[in-house]
Amino acid sequence: MINILIIEDDQNIAKMIKATLSIVNYNGTCCYDGKSGAKEAMKGTYDLILLDVMLPEMNGFEVMDAIKNCGSPVIFLTAMQDVADKVKGLRLGAEDYIVKPFEALELLARIDVVLRRSNKTQNIITYGSLSVDIASHIITDNGEPVQLTPKEFEVIVYFLQHQDIAVSRERLLSNIWGYEFEGESRTVDIHVQQVRRKLGLKDKLITIPKLGYRLESQDKT
Amino acid sequence: MKLWQKIFLSSLFLIIAAVNVISIVLLNNSHKLIIEREQSHAIREYEYFAASFANSAIYERLRSEKIILNDKEISEIATDIVSGRPKTQPAAIYSSEKKPIAESAMPELFKHDDLERFISSISSTSDNYNIRVFNCSDKRYMAVCSTIKVEDKTFLLLTASDVSEIFTLRTKQTNFVRQVGMISAAVISLILLVTVILLLRPLSRLNTYTKAIAGGNYKIRIRKRGSREFRELAENMNIMADSIQSNAARLEKIAEDRQTFIANLAHEMKTPLTSILGFADLLRIKKNVSDKERVEYAGTIVEETKRLRSLSGKLMELIALGGTETEKKPVSIPGMIKDTETSLLPLLQKNSVSLSCQCEDITISADEELFKSLLYNIIENAVKASAIGQEINIRAGMSDGNAVIAITDHGIGMSKEDAKKVFEPFYMVDKSRSRKAGGAGLGLALCVKIAEIHNAVLTLDSTLGEGTTVYIIISGEECL
Repeated sequence: MINILIIEDDQNIAKMIKATLSIVNYNGTCCYDGKSGAKEAMKGTYDLILLDVMLPEMNGFEVMDAIKNCGSPVIFLTAMQDVADKVKGLRLGAEDYIVKPFEALELLARIDVVLRRSNKTQNIITYGSLSVDIASHIITDNGEPVQLTPKEFEVIVYFLQHQDIAVSRERLLSNIWGYEFEGESRTVDIHVQQVRRKLGLKDKLITIPKLGYRLESQDKT
Repeated sequence: MKLWQKIFLSSLFLIIAAVNVISIVLLNNSHKLIIEREQSHAIREYEYFAASFANSAIYERLRSEKIILNDKEISEIATDIVSGRPKTQPAAIYSSEKKPIAESAMPELFKHDDLERFISSISSTSDNYNIRVFNCSDKRYMAVCSTIKVEDKTFLLLTASDVSEIFTLRTKQTNFVRQVGMISAAVISLILLVTVILLLRPLSRLNTYTKAIAGGNYKIRIRKRGSREFRELAENMNIMADSIQSNAARLEKIAEDRQTFIANLAHEMKTPLTSILGFADLLRIKKNVSDKERVEYAGTIVEETKRLRSLSGKLMELIALGGTETEKKPVSIPGMIKDTETSLLPLLQKNSVSLSCQCEDITISADEELFKSLLYNIIENAVKASAIGQEINIRAGMSDGNAVIAITDHGIGMSKEDAKKVFEPFYMVDKSRSRKAGGAGLGLALCVKIAEIHNAVLTLDSTLGEGTTVYIIISGEECL
């Protein structure tokens, strides 16, 4: 279980983040001001800290300074879009910087990247008869290896990490092909069809009209 | 052409012209005097010559005891007399037919064509003196010619004198004046140049400073030096620089305030937007949303949307205040307080807070609706700060010629730091409390705007835990 500390003074936003984290089964803990947040972070039991910049008592940069040694990676959350602010946050040692307002999946994607970088994600995911080893890029169905292209591999990993979540084509494009990729969403459709065919996920990886795709979780069925 | 060059060249030209004109006039005058003197001298000479000719003729007639002298005898007398003249004063005698009878040995003068024309132009009947100056090789002669009757016969007599010296003197004087003129012109131009440059030097200094000020260095001040005009100019430019500096500072402050306002506004807008977008996205992408979750998510979205609505409403009010024309008319302060109390009644009852009012009957010139909303905002804040069962005191009176309204609550109060910032847009003493109450942090900023329109100032006294007093000080000019 991944533990994430949310230091955010607006209770509604904190609640929203906690709910977002819960859909990928991350555990969120909320602190509503800088001081108590810093104290909580220093326990060192968190895999990641989401830190708002504008906080009462102690602002985000001061908190960042105080929790340098807690060992947990930090992602800043802020309403400010100033480049100078981003640089300041990153220079203080933050892993990433998310500008409010943000979509739920964007937050999850950024969190994923940071967690993977600090090796805190599961390296082996099992889904029914499938077993995926993310580190060695090997996928087996009932012990039999399945040949996938690198992009197809990334697509199935993304769906496995976001089970039961409706994922838009744009989201997949920006996460797997990168923001700079300006291809059509047809590319996504072709890859998803390949994954479905090769792994026999016809009934699980379903198309949601006008939105994208969703991988149904195993245990619900 | 530069100013110093213009001044220098025009004054130099005028001075040289004046000097030249004056010296030429003076020279001509003295020359004329000398010529006149020489003329009278020549006339005297002529008269002497004519008399001696007449006397010689009489003497000869008496000596030869004749009644009349014949032409030959007269011619001899004439020759005698003419030859007795000194060489520098030649003379000649002509008959009435203008035929020469005797001429002294001055061939260059008497062969002169001009002389012949001169002689022939003289009428033999008048006895006027005819005087003329002749150029003769390198010399000048002044000739006097007139008619005379000797022994009943008319003769034309001419005497001449060498006047070359006068003209040589004039040439010499002219040359001298020219030389002196040139030297003095050189000296004058030098002095003029230095003077003009020295006098105009402050101008270039002023120019440098002006450029510096124009270039954005508003702190610079010009030293007052040079002639009075320059000192005045420098002073006026300093005054200009002062006002530019203060204006620039004011504009900078405004720009800075606006920047802060926009930054705060962006923050205040993005905070509810983040919750709205986040929860809406959750509702969209989650496969199974329980009833409890749906109510919670949608509830938050509604709550945050209301917050945005309140923010935009306050913003519109603030913007409208800047643009609309206010309609001021005489209104009574106690009357407005009473009206405000009425509209606040539900809130007062809900919080069990009572109002006490000690107001003098003051009438001010104000936009009634705006001023009531100012009072409403401040009293509403006082109610929110008060605990159940507390009392809010409102007093109004005159102080130092200004009308003062004081609203005192005995509620939570605030720290000195908060009290300082409380009039700034978006500042909230207790963010979460104030947000739950639907505040956008713009109420007091709105009050400050309304106060400005009414020529009034808002100040505040507060002690943490003891309460707050807000003073509305309305300038005496608005009191009726």
